[in-house]
Amino acid sequence: MLKRPSRKNSHTGSFEVNLVPILDTMVTIIGFLLFTSSFLSIVSLETLFPQASPEDIQTKIQEKPLQLTLSIEETELKLWSPFQKIESQVIPNTQEGKLDLKTLHEKLIEIKKNFPFEKALVFIPHARFPYDHLIGVMDATRLIESSDPPLYAKNTVTGNDESLKELFPVAVFGNLLEEP
Amino acid sequence: MASQRGIRSRRVRRKIGQGFELQLTSMMDAFVIIVVFLLKSYNVSQHRFTSPQGVQLPFSTSTDIPTDSTQVIVTPEALTVENERVLDFIQSPSLVGSEFHYNFKTTDLDDQGRRIIPLYDALMKARQTTELLLSKSKVRKDGKPMPFEGVLALQADQKIEYQVLRKIMYTAGTAGFKVFRFLAAKQEH
Repeated sequence: MLKRPSRKNSHTGSFEVNLVPILDTMVTIIGFLLFTSSFLSIVSLETLFPQASPEDIQTKIQEKPLQLTLSIEETELKLWSPFQKIESQVIPNTQEGKLDLKTLHEKLIEIKKNFPFEKALVFIPHARFPYDHLIGVMDATRLIESSDPPLYAKNTVTGNDESLKELFPVAVFGNLLEEP
Repeated sequence: MASQRGIRSRRVRRKIGQGFELQLTSMMDAFVIIVVFLLKSYNVSQHRFTSPQGVQLPFSTSTDIPTDSTQVIVTPEALTVENERVLDFIQSPSLVGSEFHYNFKTTDLDDQGRRIIPLYDALMKARQTTELLLSKSKVRKDGKPMPFEGVLALQADQKIEYQVLRKIMYTAGTAGFKVFRFLAAKQEH
């Protein structure tokens, strides 16, 4: 015997969803997200306290390191190596009196081509050098941009050429221990 | 012609007023878009860094997200370690406009003016606390407590001079902190 169809089925034709509670929930969620989210994202740049272990010193005595150094003066930047592994290069400020970070970046790429395994750069800023400029200089020296010519280094394990992503990511301040 | 249009619009307005129902569907659509945008840009991270009041952080293209570490904040008025004010700068009357000079009291410095004494004391205290927590922690390496990493996160105004940073880094170095993280606001490309 067939069961009689339910009366409930007859209501489905004109069914409407009550959107008001859903809207209430949405407003609450939007409010919560707006209050709790942080639109300022903070990033970091790492630098190390200068220190040398006896093993490092022994290695350095056997083979003179590059120890690429960037002196920051009020009117110019100077790239040099205390062991004369590269020719000193002076980068004067632009005509507007700003640091020429583009030329610095280009020069570092040229150096990286000859020393692909070097990662450290020693900074020697002058005493009154502003913090935001320092961050700008560190940014220009850390990474290889997508617009830069590709650089490759031979992987010592696999023997394959691998493209480099970083320029000189290890920053050390060379005049931290000096007397002011 | 103009009067006819006026009468018609009046009629229409009356009609709307009588049987008005708010169209919630389009509003729902807009809200859904807003919620999706907010969820997408919602920044969920482990660190507890916020931009301190009165400090304008420099901008950086770096993508490194800072991890939790001992925090030093340099505001134009004072120096704080782990949100505890440890030192006040001298506010000289020669300040011009909004320029700040981070001058230290001579009694706050030693080691030929390289080390900041109150900062050194505060950092040593922070280090001892961290080492105590590490020694009591169940996380071990070869049966020994995890070593003290000595990472210091530094938040300072973008106009601060290197000589102040140098003093802070030197002091932190003598207190056993060997890695410094300069915090900056992310600069979008």
